[in-house]
Amino acid sequence: MEAEHAEVTSREEIAFPSVEWFERLAQLMKHNRARNEHLGYIDCAVIFTVLDGGLRGKPWSAQVTFEEFEATDVREATSADLARADFSVDATLATWREMIESIARGRGRPDLTHTLNYLSHTGEPIRVWSDDPLRKDMFFRFNQSLQEFINASGTFRTIFPD
Amino acid sequence: MAEMVRVDSLRPLPVSSSMNEEAIERYETEFKQHATKWQEILDRNAERMKKGTYSLEWMKTDKAAWGRRAKPSSRGLTYTDINNVPGYGTIPAKATCLNFAPRGSVRDEYASEMPVVDDYTLVDRDESWADNVITLYEEAKARQWNATRDIPWSELERLPDDLEKATCQLATFLTEVEFVAADFPAKWLYKIPQDFLEVKSFLVTQMMDEARHQEVFRKRAIAGGGLLHASPGFEWALKAIYDAPTHTMGTFLLNLLGEGLVLTLFRSGEMIAKTHVDKEIFRRCLQDEARHVSYGVLELKNYLDHAPDREKALEEMHRFADVGEQVILTSFSEAALAEPVAILLGGGLDKIDQGMEGQGKLWQISMEEYLQRCDRAGFPRRERCTLPLEMQWGCG
Repeated sequence: MEAEHAEVTSREEIAFPSVEWFERLAQLMKHNRARNEHLGYIDCAVIFTVLDGGLRGKPWSAQVTFEEFEATDVREATSADLARADFSVDATLATWREMIESIARGRGRPDLTHTLNYLSHTGEPIRVWSDDPLRKDMFFRFNQSLQEFINASGTFRTIFPD
Repeated sequence: MAEMVRVDSLRPLPVSSSMNEEAIERYETEFKQHATKWQEILDRNAERMKKGTYSLEWMKTDKAAWGRRAKPSSRGLTYTDINNVPGYGTIPAKATCLNFAPRGSVRDEYASEMPVVDDYTLVDRDESWADNVITLYEEAKARQWNATRDIPWSELERLPDDLEKATCQLATFLTEVEFVAADFPAKWLYKIPQDFLEVKSFLVTQMMDEARHQEVFRKRAIAGGGLLHASPGFEWALKAIYDAPTHTMGTFLLNLLGEGLVLTLFRSGEMIAKTHVDKEIFRRCLQDEARHVSYGVLELKNYLDHAPDREKALEEMHRFADVGEQVILTSFSEAALAEPVAILLGGGLDKIDQGMEGQGKLWQISMEEYLQRCDRAGFPRRERCTLPLEMQWGCG
């Protein structure tokens, strides 16, 4: 069963997209270690890209490295990180926003049409890609953990740019 | 009124012969033939015990890798950790120890007294090894789940009749096909010598995964209305996998192609699920399936990379794939699969046409993923693929 993040547990507001936003998810993953141990290891480096989330509408990316049961490293991704990552998850700010807001409404669980898999299965509006199909398959191998990593955003308020 | 038949006038019942008479006889004969070996061991042991003396031979460490202790990594003591200890991690290219003696134990000096397991025929490492097999084994153990407890069954909602029937038919299909991915490795598992223990271990996790998939879809169907239709096309596809002439060929057809397509189907299942229960089921299953696909890709790669005659190996694989692809297609073209998926994709029986269009797009994606995986394995299938790259729907 998916983790129940009960409801927004703090009045904390974090801007999206930002390194802080992904760092908060990493902290929550650490906090929910028992749940993540139940789900099992997750070993991959993921680039999360907001295609129009950077300055003047340019792409902005965060790299999150998962090891065992934690996100051990979160950073703003550079072009070198892109090559090192196992796969990338790309979407526009509007798509990210819709997904995150669905998770918030569902108190830590998106509705049926806003899961990572739902939004990415046909290649749009989320595109999951890698040059190596084996590394792309990690998105599937660790899908539940990745979903719950994002679902943790339901525990705080996300602020989006106007 | 018929004359009463007295019990004592009836003929006696025939003496029942043991149902297993022949098998027991074979067993007795076999072990009597080898009596000189095991009986000698037994006599020797009995003699020593009678004398009240000890052997303590097993305490000698001069031929053992004794004292080089394995150290756990952060996640515990993995196969990789123990394989890093000298004396334990060398996987032989060809297994010559065809008994149960563990790799790395003191065993050579006992070989002449040991039985040979005739069933251990998959003695070449490159007919079953994959470079990711240890990682996948550890991952599989860590990511096991429980179809009884981890699915929020109490949240299962009643769906409109067409959607419920489509969901239950999809679950029926998956119940029918999932266990071949356990039966196929089971058919080869006992042929793999103990020296390839990592492969054997991984295959056991695959069998456990498939038992759980069969379980969860059977439960989903019966909790939602019931099992619906089995289908002959599914059966031929399963037979094509089960009867594959070699382990690598069968693993290609099952893990790389078949499970690759089922992985797409699971992803579609998650996408078209009408309840959170179904979403959770498909998401859990697709994780397991992706591990099996990964093994299939690198098993084929390892086989081809180490084939003594790569060109010949490739040609054999192509010949096999020419048939295998078509038989697998039989399953994926069955109405009992394509139509319920289209109904779920479209959102109802009245939107089945839209669903078929969506399915066409998913088919294209899954074909591209299949060909990418073949490329990754070093098996250039694009020019020879017999599967339609686009779904032939309504174009005739």
